[in-house]
Amino acid sequence: MKITENVQNNVSRIFLDGRFDANTCGEVEQFIRKRIDDGMHYFVLDMENVSFIASAGLRVVLVIAKELRNTSRGDLCIASPQPNVRKVFEISGIDNVLQIHEDVERAAKGFLQ
Amino acid sequence: MQQSFEFPADTAVLAKIGEATVAAGRSAGFTESEIGDIQLAVDEACTNTIMHGLKEDPSRTFQVVLRWASGEVEIFIRETGDPFDPTEVPQPDITAALEDRSVGGLGIYFIKQLMDEVKYRIDEKGMKTLYMVKRGAGCR
Ligand SMILES: Nc1ncnc2c1ncn2[C@@H]1O[C@H](COP(=O)(O)OP(=O)(O)OP(=O)(O)O)[C@@H](O)[C@H]1O
Ligand SMILES: [Mg+2]
Repeated sequence: MKITENVQNNVSRIFLDGRFDANTCGEVEQFIRKRIDDGMHYFVLDMENVSFIASAGLRVVLVIAKELRNTSRGDLCIASPQPNVRKVFEISGIDNVLQIHEDVERAAKGFLQ
Repeated sequence: MQQSFEFPADTAVLAKIGEATVAAGRSAGFTESEIGDIQLAVDEACTNTIMHGLKEDPSRTFQVVLRWASGEVEIFIRETGDPFDPTEVPQPDITAALEDRSVGGLGIYFIKQLMDEVKYRIDEKGMKTLYMVKRGAGCR
């Protein structure tokens, strides 16, 4: 998994590139945890270049979102998922507990309101 | 057509299994959306085999057989980990609020939701087989 980040207005936009499965979910979790330790509270996970997501990826997204909301009043949302990835958020019901936005800018703006 | 693989219990093999599954789905003439469903179900089953069945011990292996014809893909996953029948696992609550929602327990749910048939059996030597099939729309 290729992971890059761009921070603006205290919102961390994390761009994931590759498969988000049981083999790569640990790298994503570590990356975000490090940024939380650095003091970040708001995250947009941009999934435009995520070709595939499995339950292991969802698990990381849920664990981090829960933690952010519970401990730092922060939050995490999803941006630009491909149709197959969006479907996995939908059949797991996660689209009801996390915001999913069409693009990363709109997602980041959502936090500022 | 049929393809048979043996893999070590290491999550690094999942990408390769995904590629082979997508190729089988394409040959069988499935839509991209159906291919996504098959890929997810196979990935979840193999992830469970690697992590739960074989405890990520890379010296242990499992077998994946893909069998396809027009409008149908069948998958067999074989391992000798602890006996476990996934078809008997209850459905998780996917409607709970984030605070109440337990994490995990989605893999088997996806498999059952996305495939047309899922069967489990274990033979007298302890070889477990998880069988699943996806049929294209109009072939059900
Ligand atoms: N092949 C297997 N061998 C042994 N136990 C298994 C196997 N597959 C599943 N299980 C058991 O069934 C449980 C539920 O599996 P399921 O895939 O639904 O969720 P999970 O793997 O715990 O989490 P998730 O898939 O959401 O990341 C597992 O936690 C495990 O205890
Ligand atoms: Mg699982």
